[in-house]
Amino acid sequence: MDYLPFIQENLRSTAWFRPELALTFGAVLLFLLDLVWRDAATRVSRLSAATLVVLGVAAALLAVQPADAQMLFNGMIANDALSIFFKWLFLAAAALTVIISAQAKDIRPERSGEFQAILLTVVLGLFLMASSANLLMIYLSLELVSIGSYILTGFKKGDRKAVEASLKYVIYGGVASGVMLFGMSYLYGLTGTADLPEMARRIGTLSQTMAQAQAMGGQAAIRLTLILAVIFVLAGIGYKVAAVPWHMWCPDVYEGAPTPFTGFLSVGPKAAGFAVALRFFYGAFAAQPGTPLFDAQGLGAAVAGIPWPAVIGVVAAITMTLGNFTALGQTNLKRLLAYSSIAHAGYTLMGLSALSKTGMQSVMIYMSIYLIMNLGAFLAVIVVAQTTGSESIYEYRGLGKRAPLAATAFAVFLFSLTGIPPFAGFIGKYYLFLAVLERASGPAGNWWMALAICGALNSAVSLYYYARVLKAMFLESPYRDEPMGAAIGHRMLLGAFSAAVLVFGVAPGLLVQWTERSLQLFRG
Amino acid sequence: MGDRAEMAVFWIFTVPLIAASLGVVVTKNPITAAMSLVGAFFCLAGIYVLLTAHLVAFLQILVYAGAIMVLFLFVIMLLALQEEILGVSRIKVMQGFGALGCVGVFAVIYRAILATGPRMMPQVGEDYGTVKAVGRILFTQYLLPFEATSLLLLVAIVGAVVVAKQRI
Amino acid sequence: MVPSSYYLALAAILFSIGLFGVVSKRNILIVFMCIELMLNAANLTFLAFARQSGNMAGHAIAFFVIAVAAAEAAVGLAIVIAIYRTRGTLHMDEVRVLRD
Repeated sequence: MDYLPFIQENLRSTAWFRPELALTFGAVLLFLLDLVWRDAATRVSRLSAATLVVLGVAAALLAVQPADAQMLFNGMIANDALSIFFKWLFLAAAALTVIISAQAKDIRPERSGEFQAILLTVVLGLFLMASSANLLMIYLSLELVSIGSYILTGFKKGDRKAVEASLKYVIYGGVASGVMLFGMSYLYGLTGTADLPEMARRIGTLSQTMAQAQAMGGQAAIRLTLILAVIFVLAGIGYKVAAVPWHMWCPDVYEGAPTPFTGFLSVGPKAAGFAVALRFFYGAFAAQPGTPLFDAQGLGAAVAGIPWPAVIGVVAAITMTLGNFTALGQTNLKRLLAYSSIAHAGYTLMGLSALSKTGMQSVMIYMSIYLIMNLGAFLAVIVVAQTTGSESIYEYRGLGKRAPLAATAFAVFLFSLTGIPPFAGFIGKYYLFLAVLERASGPAGNWWMALAICGALNSAVSLYYYARVLKAMFLESPYRDEPMGAAIGHRMLLGAFSAAVLVFGVAPGLLVQWTERSLQLFRG
Repeated sequence: MGDRAEMAVFWIFTVPLIAASLGVVVTKNPITAAMSLVGAFFCLAGIYVLLTAHLVAFLQILVYAGAIMVLFLFVIMLLALQEEILGVSRIKVMQGFGALGCVGVFAVIYRAILATGPRMMPQVGEDYGTVKAVGRILFTQYLLPFEATSLLLLVAIVGAVVVAKQRI
Repeated sequence: MVPSSYYLALAAILFSIGLFGVVSKRNILIVFMCIELMLNAANLTFLAFARQSGNMAGHAIAFFVIAVAAAEAAVGLAIVIAIYRTRGTLHMDEVRVLRD
């Protein structure tokens, strides 16, 4: 075997890998800075500033990176507009989390360095997840994200809830990744490759042989195996985006983890999970996207008669219904937001299930809007918990009087999460529903219509529990009257998040154009 | 090696392997479970050699049976578990449903295997699965995953210390 | 020559045993061991398919899976130690503050 071309390819690829390299060396640097600044009085602010510098360097390198779509490192990762779009989301989520956590009390100063460093490696894992074009890279990057998340979930020392949450996370995560790996082994076996674009081509050939076999009256031999493998791989992806039935870890982990990290967990890995799902379903299984609908002869035909869009649609419907109805009875705000985040995974799956250009775009739009409104909602929870030390809904009584800014901002985020105009959440939902309704005029339109109606009803249900919080904040009288303070950085962020939610709600043009430009998915 | 001899070797490793794996799930004592698992890993390494995967077979013994299982045993000893806190199994009904579900999963997978049909293994070159051949692809084609794994291990080491140490 | 379906069936058995252990065992350490069993089943499938198609990508993947399993075991066992420190038990049903 001549291995010189491989080495040259690896060397060449580093030119498109600089943001990731910055994150890698930044994480190592932070491990060291943590020791150097051990006794400094301004430890937390210094470490946070250093992390922001690393993220800034990564962002700068990402901005100047040549944009040509191509495979890197011998087909391990793809550099394309889709992955770059998601990388910007991850950088934003990480930077905001660092700023939020710098002034939050959840993470003790002496452990701040490790928090930031491990957070950076999680961001690196998310970067790799969004660009993975190989089964092995999907597995490895998912594990990199997971292992960092297990650690950060249990970061509150001596806190029972935190350790238990991280234990639950580790067990569910281990099982989900084991099942996914088993599914991947069958995909590898059927196609003889772990490379997603190559796999797409071979599955195309496989489906042709299968169609011939069926035409001759024979049993489609590979069909069952392919179905099994895809379902197993779905387990790993579903676990990352917290879709039913792989959602069980979500409420416990959200409650036990330090709240700044919960916010990050609810947006970063979820977006990365959807990035992997887009690449996996649109890249490996769908046909060439010459037509607006990808599955003309792709996914549906490839797996011989199994309507994958319908399967994902059913998962979407169940996920949002279960998430919303369980959220109705919650009194802990973090758990409530956890169930709401399951429901939002369901809404976003609607866009994924459409398997069309609009569907892909709607997932990207929703994930970026969700990032702002959900981080904002968790920030409001942090602000209240800093003073009251509790996340119970009873502490939110009369918040409108005690902390007008936080209450107003929280109201904006909750309205946006419900999907009411003129807030940004409405725009996100509009595109998701648009993607589904586009399919309603096509074949099997009634089912798509039913999915859309299910989504609409669910939004109505979600209004009920969000309104419960609003009622507590503005209509009920507080236990204590003294005003509630908040750190200056948190106040500014709350204002900025609310402004962003309103701006994107009124003028979504920029975001829509950006996602439009980022639709390109490199297939090798 | 002749066909029948190879088949015999396969069964020699397979029967204890399945027995040891069952031993992991039927016992209540983690030490017994850990020792069964070590046995299972050794048998599995034998199967890997049959599959001409020499490097992976060695790693299976060195890393899995050697390092990971020692870690398990170390934790068991560190916690000095007595019988009563080892935990009773969940109620039998749940176990029954679990067993039924797993038999179902196995049936589906088995059906899938049958569907692909029995495939004969092709002849492979002399260096197939050797340290040299696998090492070469690890450092060329799989360089990026290799480096990513190194970072993964670093995070795991730091994380394990952060989580388990009482005072830092 | 042993046909590949034998190895695949063996892997399926190991996977099912691991899955059974995960859903039915209540001792955290044994649950972790069952997860290891599932990973090994996946490795065996990878190697069997690699041998069947004659390429070595499956070997590389198995190599990485072993490394990841080591990392996961280290973190998982560290969490087990932390649980034991705060609770004094490794029984899953008793580890349950997180309920509403």
